[in-house]
Amino acid sequence: MSLTEAEAPAVARSASRRRGRNSSPARSRLARRRRRAGIVLSLPAVALVIALLGLPVGQAVYYSMTQWNGLTATWIGPSTYTALVKDPIFWRVVQNNALLLLAVPVAIGIPLVIAALLNEHVRGWRFFRSVYFLPTAISWVVIGMFALRFFSATGVLNGLLAHLGFGASATDMLAGEHSALAALAITFIWSMVGTNTIIFLTGMATLDPTLVEAARVDGLSRIGIFFRVTLPLLTRFIQFSFVITVISAFSALFSLIFVMTSGGPGFGTTTLEFFIYQAGFQQVQLGTAALYGVVLFVIMAIAGLIQLRLIKPDDGEGW
Amino acid sequence: MTTSRATAQLPQRNTMRLRGKITTAALLLTMVIVAVVMLYPFWYIVDNAFRGQGQYDRQSGHSLGGWRQLFANLPVGGQLLNSTVVCVAAIAIILIVSTTAGFAFAKLRYRGSGLVFLLVVSALMVPLQSILFPEFVNLSNVHLTSSYAGAVLVYAALGTPFATFLMATYYRGISDELIEAAVIDGLGYERTFLQIAIPLSLPAIATVTVLQFIQIWDDLLVGLFFLPTNQRTITAGLATLSTGRTTSVPSLMAGSLISAIPAIIVYLIFQRHLVKGLTLGMGK
Repeated sequence: MSLTEAEAPAVARSASRRRGRNSSPARSRLARRRRRAGIVLSLPAVALVIALLGLPVGQAVYYSMTQWNGLTATWIGPSTYTALVKDPIFWRVVQNNALLLLAVPVAIGIPLVIAALLNEHVRGWRFFRSVYFLPTAISWVVIGMFALRFFSATGVLNGLLAHLGFGASATDMLAGEHSALAALAITFIWSMVGTNTIIFLTGMATLDPTLVEAARVDGLSRIGIFFRVTLPLLTRFIQFSFVITVISAFSALFSLIFVMTSGGPGFGTTTLEFFIYQAGFQQVQLGTAALYGVVLFVIMAIAGLIQLRLIKPDDGEGW
Repeated sequence: MTTSRATAQLPQRNTMRLRGKITTAALLLTMVIVAVVMLYPFWYIVDNAFRGQGQYDRQSGHSLGGWRQLFANLPVGGQLLNSTVVCVAAIAIILIVSTTAGFAFAKLRYRGSGLVFLLVVSALMVPLQSILFPEFVNLSNVHLTSSYAGAVLVYAALGTPFATFLMATYYRGISDELIEAAVIDGLGYERTFLQIAIPLSLPAIATVTVLQFIQIWDDLLVGLFFLPTNQRTITAGLATLSTGRTTSVPSLMAGSLISAIPAIIVYLIFQRHLVKGLTLGMGK
């Protein structure tokens, strides 16, 4: 039964040809069934997403060029967009969003430091990790409920300041336009600590410990290692958390604003997402709401496209 | 230079050990301070939930005054039930459509399935605020905003893109041979999915469930817009209660506490799954 080396490939080839000929119809039938099953099984998700997310996006684009009260829509045309660019309220609202973006580096920097501390694996670090991550489970409504009392004139912050001898400077942070936005930004940063810390901690766990060891042998201090070794290797994780934080800053603050400031004082804390609610719900200008919705969607789409590039769909490892 | 280093070696090792201890102590201290900052709001909420308004103003004394007022102003039990019903129904839909679609995109590829997958996943970037009013008008036109149905569908749609991404990623990790073998053994694709793929993907299903539970339980916007007033979720109920200026702070703190407890319990039990879902796709 032994074959010479020269014979072996020829035998194998003819065997495979034979097998191919015999099973070809069965195989293609199987492939056809597989494709059909694939289409059937993916259909519900596709239908749900198209009906409840895709279609309304199209409608929002259409209604953004109309005057709409929910029942009748009067066509105006693309001129709504040029009018928008000339509208000072629009720029006031966009300015708030832009100012909130200033919180993003802080909402990344603090968790980076916290993750580096946890990554030293001091005794009990797992407990601290759980504690830092806990706010992730809490609704922004509850967080806002506390923040409202924290920043108010008789609140915790002013009590603390008075205790430290700054009693004279007691102010209601939520009463001033800029200080209210700052209070919102601080609350936002606090809320993002858990999520971003976990992302960075996951990143640090993937680092090759020999690199850190080598840097230590080379005489780099802990801080030197953090800046010169750890940070550069975490680039992808920092980009990822940057995108998540920006998306949250634009589209997750509704509850916080609703509970803390209702967008005020004045337009002090009215962001794009909150103005959509105000324009539609309070002023019943649903066309304007749709117009702002399209602007928000475009910003989110840009952030989302960056995010899609950062997460790798074909990487099934890590489970 | 060399001789002095040699003689200094022993004390140097001692100082290094001392410095190591100081660093550890400083690290611990910093971590404790951060922990206080992260936990203080919870302490504040618990502390002030058990006060009356007068006790809150004085910041001394405890009672059940806040709770009594909360239960008088808010149908707490009913709203907790509403939250539960909406969560369970929406998560059930999300699990059904995301496991089937995830399996299809990973293992039953057809022409254009890659593009369809991208279409579903890219719906991730649609913020509900952008489509709030078209969505609301659509759903009320088909009479779905007078019951749980509208909110359940909106939550299901919002959760599906990421859940599908997660399930597809998971199913890609299962070997093709295993699936092929099951099909050739006569199970057929549908039963292979139900009897082989589903049991294998329980960890991913757990992750989707936990992530979605916390997201839906904590959400305000959908609960506020797509549910009739008498079927509001606890989070939406609490938020609307807080806009009433006459509501006492202790009753709001009591409401915050009771609305947060289910999410905290789920977090404490399933923390691992939550972390997994949050950082998926970021391995390496």
